[in-house]
Amino acid sequence: MSVVTPVTDGTAPRPGLVRPRPRPRRLFTRRSFTKHGAGGGWPFLVPFLASLLIWVYGPAAATVVLSFLRWNLTSGPPAFAGLTNYRALFADPNFLPAAWQTLLYAAGIIPLGVALPLWLAIALWKRPGRAAFTYRCLLFTPVMLAPVATAISWQFALNPLQGVLHALCDAVGLPTPDVLGDPGTALWGLDLITAGKVIGLNVLLFGAALAAVDPRTVEAARLDGATEGQVTRHVLVPQLRRTAVLLTMLAAVYAGQWSFTNISVLTQGGPVNRTDNVYYLIYVYGFDYFDIGRAAAASVLVVAALGVLLVAGGLLRRRRDARA
Amino acid sequence: MTRRTPRRSIAVSASALAVAIGLMTAACGTAATSASGSAPGATITLSFLSYNYGTPDLGGQGTQELINAFEAANPTIKIKPQGVPVADALTEAQTETAAGDPPDVAQIGWSKMAAAYRALPVTAVQDIPTAAQWGAATVGMSQPLLRAVEANGKVVAMPYTISTPTLFYNATLFEKAGLNPADPPATVAEAQRDGLAIAKTGGSGVYFDIADAAKSDFLTQSIIDANGGSEISPSGQPNVDQPAAVAALAAMRELTTSGAQPAVSEADAIAAFDAGKLGMLVTSTAVLAGIESAAQGKFDLRTAAMPGFAGKPAHTTFSGAGLVVLAKDKAHQQAAWQFIKFLTSAEGFTIITSKIGYLPLRPAIVTDPRYLGAYFRKDPRIGPALKQLDEVTPYAFFSGAQAAQAVATLQDDAVQPIVFAGASPASTLTGVTRQIQSMLSQ
Repeated sequence: MSVVTPVTDGTAPRPGLVRPRPRPRRLFTRRSFTKHGAGGGWPFLVPFLASLLIWVYGPAAATVVLSFLRWNLTSGPPAFAGLTNYRALFADPNFLPAAWQTLLYAAGIIPLGVALPLWLAIALWKRPGRAAFTYRCLLFTPVMLAPVATAISWQFALNPLQGVLHALCDAVGLPTPDVLGDPGTALWGLDLITAGKVIGLNVLLFGAALAAVDPRTVEAARLDGATEGQVTRHVLVPQLRRTAVLLTMLAAVYAGQWSFTNISVLTQGGPVNRTDNVYYLIYVYGFDYFDIGRAAAASVLVVAALGVLLVAGGLLRRRRDARA
Repeated sequence: MTRRTPRRSIAVSASALAVAIGLMTAACGTAATSASGSAPGATITLSFLSYNYGTPDLGGQGTQELINAFEAANPTIKIKPQGVPVADALTEAQTETAAGDPPDVAQIGWSKMAAAYRALPVTAVQDIPTAAQWGAATVGMSQPLLRAVEANGKVVAMPYTISTPTLFYNATLFEKAGLNPADPPATVAEAQRDGLAIAKTGGSGVYFDIADAAKSDFLTQSIIDANGGSEISPSGQPNVDQPAAVAALAAMRELTTSGAQPAVSEADAIAAFDAGKLGMLVTSTAVLAGIESAAQGKFDLRTAAMPGFAGKPAHTTFSGAGLVVLAKDKAHQQAAWQFIKFLTSAEGFTIITSKIGYLPLRPAIVTDPRYLGAYFRKDPRIGPALKQLDEVTPYAFFSGAQAAQAVATLQDDAVQPIVFAGASPASTLTGVTRQIQSMLSQ
């Protein structure tokens, strides 16, 4: 069966002129691998594929193997341990709380690292000019600072005996909270510090997405009498949805890793293990205790958990698309 | 013009990749080989992993001075120093060992020394020189300390930057609180009393650095030892559920719950002491040089022995670091011995004490005008810590492959919650003892 192909000059097709439907282009054809197609460039992919194999899939496979071994890297050859490392993880009173706390880090960083930058980016986009540029620069500055230096600065600022926070509380006659020393607030304090580095970057990314927004849609909404809040909610936010979804996913997946430096410098997992997360614990297993098998087993579980989440997200999206 | 077939291109690319990998491997192999071999009389380069080296503070400056002095005296040996954060010294040594290129000499903290003996290819330092050379090099060193660091009857790691727990106190805050600076607290109960008096004047009272960031248990051991107990039994099992240990940690908790001790981190407490806002700080003598520098012109800094428990002799253990030799070949091991001999000589300890702040492990040099005589007359504040060296008890290790995790578990799950979060000493220590026993049996 053939179909009428619209002509490109905007005129209607002449009656009786029926063009055959072009065959869909296949990505790879036998010909492309031989002499005339793009397949001649395949060998150029070898360095990329080799590096992917050496640096990503090879180590991933090695990690799975290591998770079944008992080894400390230096003394003697590794010994097969079966499921011992996995059993040891679930017997470790710190592992499951750390896994839960990893989710808390993500839950805390999404509003701070996505919703707040979204709001800031829109506010700055609506008021273009020198002031907005200056604010963007100021918000982006923490992104460029070395993570360890930032963490140490926070240590001085939050020192409950003599830090900036202490001076502020003292000035208004309030007791100084020990943000990082109190088991109830330490994790959220670290989340706030971590978000401080993410906000500036995400404001920039939302700003880039806003640059693609057609200003006429906003002007039309205003002409129709929409308030600024309605313009934001019904015109701008929907157009930023893809960026927001992407940044939310990144925040959820990377929150644990982003907070690693702050945990390492500021709390070392304390107080009372309340700021541990699985990434920090994997480091401790691997490079403090040199229990390589257990560190590998924990890494495998983290990747598996992320895989389950991504597959579940994919299934939900497919079901929603099918309904639409 | 002819075009190469894809199969040929793939083969060429794969060959090129194989050659590149081969060259890299060969280059690594060549580097490793040249590092390990050396002709007699040739200059030897000795890699030295140190957590004091490279820091911007006095520790870094002092270590550089030691290296400079050694190289000037030994022109055929060059030191290649490598800095590392204190908490990562063993990690770095072990990863470099795993990569096949361990440092020739490494500075390892005593709390991780048992793990180092187990995991690293350590050559006992006493085995490198002849018996006569060893005897000549160690005469004049603190014999109680040398005995305390022995493992299986010999010195495996050379005591280097050693410290004991010391009471640093702010005599200015003492006077402000109506206390006599000439009469510092000798017991934990007195420290609590004086701490509360200082807290009433608006400062913070006393801080025992018992839950430090590096998760070392040296102060935990010292406090329990001082109360007549022991953290670890001679067989390497936890002893912290025994009455003496429970009472010692209960006393530490009482300091916090009474309001004499702020429930803050080590870093916050040291910063507050440096700023003149904390009355007393019980910690390693290692921080002496830094604190002296911070106190200058700000407050009157004094020191005393670690407060103990009424009616009991104040035994403490030691902290700091030893030097382990990981050099593979005899030439580098001999060079390592020369380096260690210098670092622990009278000249070495003069620099270590006056510049970095650790204890001079050759007690005679503190009165010798050629070495620390003038320094000690001007600044006798290291004296109380030095006196404790005569009664020092060996640093005890947990047994088995999980020793490092056992120390971290004790510090994280018992000491910190008891002392700073108000957990029950008896039940917490009983639970953690069981946890560590199970860990060590694996």
